[in-house]
Amino acid sequence: MRFLTDNPASEPTSVLYTRCTVDLESGCFLMEDVPCRNLEDVLGGFGRSFQMLAERDIQSAYVEENPLIINVGLLTGSHAMTGMRTYFSGYSPIKQSKKGLPAAMWSAGSGKFGAKLKWTGLDELVIENRSEQPVYIVIRETGDRPEVTLKPADHLLGMTTHGKIMALQEQYDDAHFAAIGPAGENWQNVYAGAVALSTVNQLKSKQDKVRFAGRGGMGSLMGYKNVLAMVAQSSDKLGRTPEPIKKANINVIKGGGSARLQPIKRGGGGGTWAAYDVLQAFHAVPVNNFRPQGNDLPERLFRTKVEQQYEIKSEACYRCGITCHNNIHERKADGSPGAFLAKFDYEPLNLLGTNLGLHEAAQVAALIHLCDNYGMDAITTGVTVSYVLSYNQRHPEKPLFNGASFGDYDKIHDLVKCTGLGQLPEIGHGVKRLSESTGETDYAYHVKGLEIAAYQPETNPGYCWAIAGGHMSMGTYGMLAREGKTDLDSWVAAITRDKLQIVGFDMIGLCKFFDIVNGIGTDMVVDCLAAEHGLKVTREELQAAVKRAFLRGLTLEIRQGYGKEEYCLPAEVTANPNHNITLPDLTTPEFLAELEKRVWEIFDREMQELI
Amino acid sequence: MKITVKLYAVLQVGRYREKELDFPVETKVGAVVNSLDLPSEHLDILLVNGRHVDREFLLQDGDVLSLLPMVEGG
Ligand code: SF4
Repeated sequence: MRFLTDNPASEPTSVLYTRCTVDLESGCFLMEDVPCRNLEDVLGGFGRSFQMLAERDIQSAYVEENPLIINVGLLTGSHAMTGMRTYFSGYSPIKQSKKGLPAAMWSAGSGKFGAKLKWTGLDELVIENRSEQPVYIVIRETGDRPEVTLKPADHLLGMTTHGKIMALQEQYDDAHFAAIGPAGENWQNVYAGAVALSTVNQLKSKQDKVRFAGRGGMGSLMGYKNVLAMVAQSSDKLGRTPEPIKKANINVIKGGGSARLQPIKRGGGGGTWAAYDVLQAFHAVPVNNFRPQGNDLPERLFRTKVEQQYEIKSEACYRCGITCHNNIHERKADGSPGAFLAKFDYEPLNLLGTNLGLHEAAQVAALIHLCDNYGMDAITTGVTVSYVLSYNQRHPEKPLFNGASFGDYDKIHDLVKCTGLGQLPEIGHGVKRLSESTGETDYAYHVKGLEIAAYQPETNPGYCWAIAGGHMSMGTYGMLAREGKTDLDSWVAAITRDKLQIVGFDMIGLCKFFDIVNGIGTDMVVDCLAAEHGLKVTREELQAAVKRAFLRGLTLEIRQGYGKEEYCLPAEVTANPNHNITLPDLTTPEFLAELEKRVWEIFDREMQELI
Repeated sequence: MKITVKLYAVLQVGRYREKELDFPVETKVGAVVNSLDLPSEHLDILLVNGRHVDREFLLQDGDVLSLLPMVEGG
């Protein structure tokens, strides 16, 4: 990026970002320095990509006019801790309105690919049209301009995400990689393909310790375009960390902001896995397709139980002190870590474990591993499979597929495997379409066509207004369990003002764990921008930019045909309340109706003002 | 009065899961929390008999005080 001003909020056009548009049909490249339109453009991520998507009239995800936009944020590749994010945006194959139009989506991932991409000098890559032959894209740092080339990728076809990254690593030094797996290659039959992003740890250890941009099927869109992988090759660019950023980084690690995520042996809380213990206190851990039973089954996947048998390595992305990856290894006879099994983050652990009736760590690890290697979103896959199991429980005489039931590991494994290989399009197309085909939609756990995260919808009416996945784009998932909030005023303020700020992290290039409670409108971020880029931005300007970007996302949903009746929780939540959950019941029809009315009053007005 | 203290997740490490403790009548939640010397960066949710309370809440004999860390997305 080039900064011809130190005041990007009032002079955004004096900030230029470097964009390369690749036309896969013609093989032409257009490299340009693009002036920013507003602070959202400057920040980057979906704040910029959604403005481009809004300019297109896209009726189906798999059309040549649907671009795949890969970009970074203003602090990606910076000295600020967690500045590793890469964003993938496009119209989603999986998230679709009832009118049949695809929703705009983005997905974010860590690993080191984003930083390397930024260090090549490129801020954004726009992939237009599709290639006849499988290709991969190489972005290289050269003298003064990044260089982008297309390479044949036949030799990568059919490989797992990890396999592709390992193969490319042999060819490219000092590079990091983004790759799809068999799921993305089978884009016609798998709509929730993910993009794997390499980590330093993976390249060094040769173990498949990968990070993912999983949500919304951006890997399937990449597969449709016949782009199997990307290589970002550049030298590392970080020198001495400027003092203000050092201070912010120390604050992130020691100030309590991320303490919960750090390894237990360093005095941390052990990562997102701890959500199991907390939610179980309320019997709110999803079990058997989001129907907690009020028993202690979820406790079998508590960290304390798993570590009796397995070694848990706490690891991190490049230079990140948060160390949020919980990598599960077998334990050798001498007590040292053996083979790597899988990463245990809360979402995949639950949705491919307890929520499928599986309570053995090794079995859950095998399913997470499978999803990761096939490059398939664990949330969409887990939720769609749990629907199948629930359907089969209700129809033992005429079950779906192989008749798998809750807890039947072998059959569940078969379903996940066949889905990843594109052999079960009914599951690969996600739970909305599957439930519509069976005619039983009440217990299909999606909102607006995107499967929900591992937080019971009974505890989170905010899901309805999340614009890119339940927990990543609306931070209300802990409001009831954590804060005990049951009053309308708090929920309205959270949804329309405070908790939507979480999406700022999907613009600026940082992980949410940088400061999940406060978002990016903080002195810490202000100081980082000043020290890294010499920019003067206020907290208020950052918050306002995030709000505008969010509202644009909401506006775009409505333009893509979403009716307000689609902003609702899965019907089972109100039709058959689950009294095993010990939290106050927020999801009475009266509460939801009033919440809806008040939230839309605010959002309607604000969207109007934005237009 | 007798208060049952339940600790969750990381708060249990090196401590206990559940213990019955004696406190003077009219003890507030905050006073119990202070007496336990828990890592403040981890303590987030305070429940008495399953309901969210703050540190000013007055405990009664037989109450169950549950102390939990923050629920985190990911
Ligand atoms: S917070 Fe976790 S995912 Fe984010 S950069 Fe650090 S280690 Fe990676």
